[in-house]
Amino acid sequence: MTTFIDNILHQLAFDPANPMLFSCGLFWVLFLVFLPVYAMLKHRRTQMMIFVLAFSLYFYYKSSGLFFMLLVCTSLCDWLLSHAIARSHSRRNRRLLMWLSITISLSVLGYFKYANFIVWNWCAIVGSNFQPLDIILPVGISFYTFQSISYVVDVYKHRIEPTHSWLEYAFYLSFFPQLVAGPIVRADYFLPQLRDNRSASREMVYSGLWLVIVGIVKKAIIADYIAQYNDLVFSNPGGYGGFETLMGILGYTMQIYCDFSGYSDMAIGIALILGFRLSDNFRLPYQSQNITEFWRRWHISLSSWLRDYIYIPLGGNRHGRTRTYINNLATMLLGGLWHGAAWKFVFWGGMHGVGLMVHKAMKPRLDRLPDTWLTRAASRALTMVFVSLLWVFFRADSFGDAATIIGCAFTGFDASHIVPFIAERGTWCVMMAVIIALHTLRLEWLESAKQWFVRAPWAVKLLIFVVLSISNHSF
Amino acid sequence: MKPYISLWLLLAIALAAVVGMELVACPIEIFGVELQKSTFVDVLSTEPAATCNLPVEATTLPDEPMPEATKPIEPDTMPKSILFIGDSMLEGLSPRLAAYAKHNGHRLNSVIWYSSTTEVWGECDKLAGFVKKFHPDYVVVCLGANELFVRDIITKRAHYVDNILNQIDTIPYVWIGPPNWKKDTGINQLIASKTKPGTFFLSDGMHFDRAKDGAHPTRRSAELWMDSVASWVTLHSAHPIKLAKPAPGTARATSVTVLQPKK
Repeated sequence: MTTFIDNILHQLAFDPANPMLFSCGLFWVLFLVFLPVYAMLKHRRTQMMIFVLAFSLYFYYKSSGLFFMLLVCTSLCDWLLSHAIARSHSRRNRRLLMWLSITISLSVLGYFKYANFIVWNWCAIVGSNFQPLDIILPVGISFYTFQSISYVVDVYKHRIEPTHSWLEYAFYLSFFPQLVAGPIVRADYFLPQLRDNRSASREMVYSGLWLVIVGIVKKAIIADYIAQYNDLVFSNPGGYGGFETLMGILGYTMQIYCDFSGYSDMAIGIALILGFRLSDNFRLPYQSQNITEFWRRWHISLSSWLRDYIYIPLGGNRHGRTRTYINNLATMLLGGLWHGAAWKFVFWGGMHGVGLMVHKAMKPRLDRLPDTWLTRAASRALTMVFVSLLWVFFRADSFGDAATIIGCAFTGFDASHIVPFIAERGTWCVMMAVIIALHTLRLEWLESAKQWFVRAPWAVKLLIFVVLSISNHSF
Repeated sequence: MKPYISLWLLLAIALAAVVGMELVACPIEIFGVELQKSTFVDVLSTEPAATCNLPVEATTLPDEPMPEATKPIEPDTMPKSILFIGDSMLEGLSPRLAAYAKHNGHRLNSVIWYSSTTEVWGECDKLAGFVKKFHPDYVVVCLGANELFVRDIITKRAHYVDNILNQIDTIPYVWIGPPNWKKDTGINQLIASKTKPGTFFLSDGMHFDRAKDGAHPTRRSAELWMDSVASWVTLHSAHPIKLAKPAPGTARATSVTVLQPKK
């Protein structure tokens, strides 16, 4: 009995090697405990908020240990400053307070995420030895920092009123479904839902469950499985033939989509179960016919955040063509840096910025092309190739590795490898086929599938979820 | 409230099904596919620092006096044909061993069987097949990482380890132990007890920088791991071969065979 209790306590404690994800069993065991209490407190708004906040902070503690205190401090600081902004009648003071809040948020993010990167670059410039600082990056800090900045800016610009209580703001900032991997939720979209505190309808609950199922299939089954082969290719650049490397690149392109959009689906689904709608984060991005459309379909919450809080404040497209291009590039460079503290991410973002610039410049000519299936297919293929090649830089350990992998894919191609590859990696090919097939579907069809699930008898839903739970362990 | 009740029931039944499946002793197959079991019960009922009851003299863990056979022996400097088999840990180890092979004039054929265990390799004769195919004169095995937490591992897996060693037959070999990220339930002691003195490299206790999954060493860490193994093979193993350290980095093995996880 003591062992049993010790093991439970051990499982509930922070373990840096095992952060709590929506696809792990422990989360669902805890969610089973959470759900009835949440349902009982749903209409006692304050108690419900305290309970969800406590659960969210615990969720964060499981992923980042005592850094949950940092989240509490950030929320307190933002909330106090947002009230000071709202109270102040002087435009200068309001602006000063807004910049103070943004500086604090970015300083915290900068220290935890970029300090080593800055020190490394400084050492490279002055030619001294690089001794990395012993800094642990709190999970999800990039996401909630952006939420906190957008909240303060929105208060400054009178788009929203600051929340009456810190509890309400802390609930928004730490809401556990979107805390560690997004989507980045805007206060003007989320807070009215919290104030209304409507009950989740049956349709919302089962739509949420459907999204959770889709998310688990994408992340825990497809992405985690195909990653095994992709990792092999990326861990040994140049060690595979052209066709194998090409498959590794295509595999990673699909893996990152399934991984990220799958987790987003789960987050949106769990929020929906709790009665909160979060906006879509991915809309079949590899269906895009150009890079501009790609960014309207890929990580939508981030791209719209970058547009509203960086691109437009920089001037957007209001100051002529050249300035528009520069703004585009600057936004994407920052977007790249947001993904990680390394030059490869900056390069990745910058190249997407160049892609956006080229598309903008070419748009008048492209619009004159006839709208046939051939031009659509060619546009999709071109966009897909561009995006996939840039993913190589995103994934590879260095620019050298990325160049080797791309070089290998285009120089060592041997068609005789295709059949043995398919024979040896049948399951991998099937999973890739599934996710590629998904990208040939229309969004309305996926919506219809969701509606079918919502209307399906309870026993069918149960069967699907049980099969999925078992499959999740089997892959 | 009503949708929550039905959802809660649905989740609870699904969880019960997963846990119930774990409690069934025999393997469960659907359409020929063996279903993997969860580890809920295992995790909650296993002693945190469980050990198995092997006789003390059967183990060759490093804190004990080094047996005679592991004292330095002159390395065999002839070029070798090395067969490297094992689980996904080979992803990190194999490219670095390939660099050693290239630098020292050996051939390296690697076989990565994802999610494989001593059971997976021990219940079939694939290893014998690869021995027949590649004619190795040195075998390196890296297995055990997927069975760190198996209960009663001695009784369950001993004959599979025996079978793996039987398939290697008289070829000199080295078995690289799993890079524990938690205390195991006895896999290291089992392998140590079954392998000949000076043929088991215990990786437990080494420091590894881990990849995102928390289990696999990072690429760089795996290279350092392989460096440690190579140094130990040259200086302390029962069958030392020429493994002078190459420049940092990896190379391509003569061949890499990838096997899908067993269904």
